[in-house]
Amino acid sequence: MGTIREVKSGKKSLKKDYVAIMMWFMGRAIQAAASVDRDVRKEFAELPDRFTFDLCVMPDGPHMIVGKDRKGYVRYMGWDTEGKRTNLRIKIKNLEAAILMFTFQESTALATARNRLVVDGEVPHACAAVRILDIVEVYLLPKIIAKLAVKRYPLWSPGRKYIGRVFVYLRTVLGL
Amino acid sequence: MNLPGYYEFCCRVKIIAGHDALEKIPDALAYLRARTPMIVSDKGVAGAGLIDIVTSAIKDGVTIGAVADDVTPDSDLQVVHRLARLYREKRCDSLIAVGGGSVMDTAKGVNILISENADDLMKFSGANALKRALKPLIAIPTTAGTGSEVTLVAVVKDHERHLKMAFVSYFLLPDVSVLDSRMTLSLPPAITAATGMDALAHAVEAYTCLAKNPLSDAHALAAINLIGENLVRVTRDPGDKNGRLAMANAATLAGIAFSNSMVGMVHTLGHSAGSVCGVPHGVCMAILLPYGLEYNMHKNGHLTAELLFPLGGAQVYAATPEGERADKVIALVRRINEDLHEASGGRHPRFFREVVDREGKQMVPREKLPEIAKTALSDGSLFYNPEDLDYDDFLMVMETSWEGEPLERRKIKKG
Ligand SMILES: [Fe+2]
Repeated sequence: MGTIREVKSGKKSLKKDYVAIMMWFMGRAIQAAASVDRDVRKEFAELPDRFTFDLCVMPDGPHMIVGKDRKGYVRYMGWDTEGKRTNLRIKIKNLEAAILMFTFQESTALATARNRLVVDGEVPHACAAVRILDIVEVYLLPKIIAKLAVKRYPLWSPGRKYIGRVFVYLRTVLGL
Repeated sequence: MNLPGYYEFCCRVKIIAGHDALEKIPDALAYLRARTPMIVSDKGVAGAGLIDIVTSAIKDGVTIGAVADDVTPDSDLQVVHRLARLYREKRCDSLIAVGGGSVMDTAKGVNILISENADDLMKFSGANALKRALKPLIAIPTTAGTGSEVTLVAVVKDHERHLKMAFVSYFLLPDVSVLDSRMTLSLPPAITAATGMDALAHAVEAYTCLAKNPLSDAHALAAINLIGENLVRVTRDPGDKNGRLAMANAATLAGIAFSNSMVGMVHTLGHSAGSVCGVPHGVCMAILLPYGLEYNMHKNGHLTAELLFPLGGAQVYAATPEGERADKVIALVRRINEDLHEASGGRHPRFFREVVDREGKQMVPREKLPEIAKTALSDGSLFYNPEDLDYDDFLMVMETSWEGEPLERRKIKKG
């Protein structure tokens, strides 16, 4: 009798790669926005020292780890959870749900309503993390797409919106 | 009908409801293979003579192992431990919780300790930490509002370490909830009014917020219909047995609805006003409900409009043009608050500046509003609200609901 071997679906790994790239980009953008945007800086300032959070897809990644370093600077800390202590983990229940979120077919709010996210950690921290993600999405995405990702598209001054966006993009690409 | 692309719904509590429902408890316990229940309650409930009613209704069918009627108003970890010891000493095999939210929470905490044979409740806190069924728990609510007789959550406070532990698990659902009109007959008008408005807020937010689904909708609409017909009536006439039973049913229906589709900003701000100023939960709900509907109108006005039929009845619905139905619902909720204010001899507050404590001291001074708005930013129920709120938005809602002015629609940021 032959054995049945599990064949890894190419489509699945493609999806995983897509989510991983989006998360990598998002992580670097959060680091960038923390130095460019006043509200993101304030959100991080109110979180505990060395606060670290992990946005990840169940069961085995990818991960996006962002946190404050020893000096209080916000850093994208990569995708490797090895040896990192996280205060907050927002877990997307499966890859399909992550694809819906990162192709902006489902907002964070709707994903929560549909029970697609699990939060390990304190609720106030999760609230802050979602606010940070929302602001960063507004920087990164064109309005027509960002409107699908966040509940309410903010009314920012042109300076914050356009000049801020240039800086966030530059810093994200350069990894500053 | 709004059909979500995906949803989850679960309620596996047996409901026994009627003017003589308590008498069925021995049968319900036998079915659960239990015969020595411990009764958990508080001084207020016992003082109102409700424990006597329960015990005389069931004493021929079961052996009452113990009666613990000293649960504190805030479910407390020490009390949970003490009651678990008493349960073991008296060799009980099941729990009957008679009371409001904190009695239910305490009984659920006790149930975790005795079922898991554990000493440290903390180990089981968080979501889904429980892995198997607990001992039989029968819930008998003595207010018609919180819905905690059908919810899967328990909150226990560790007052020594200033910690609040939340437990979330389907295993925390009571096995049976008993709704008996005798349990709420002696509720004073002001409490009847506030707890009833809590039930209304549960049903309305479940129907109009983001996690709504057809099954919770059905429960919410039935609850709203019962509340529209009965809340003002029983507040005026506390001895109305049918009205009391209707409200008990409404609260349970609303509890089933919101525990499956969650609540929104009315609860977000209500929790904050409760924790910052100690305003009773139901009072916050009554005051804030019209503001939540106004604030979200541009997102969910079509859903609010659908509530006019169950809340106002067929005639009001037919007489209101389609485009005005949502506003009519908000006007009706304000009207109910006015009627409750009058029916309770002025004890049911309509806005935050009217809220006073037992000594008649104002509970929400205006300068506390910023702190309430700030606290609201950390409450998870905001996730389920149709529109977003930042600090300024929360403050605006608090200021208008403090004054008792309607929200200025043009000031609501629509994105
Ligand atoms: Fe409530």
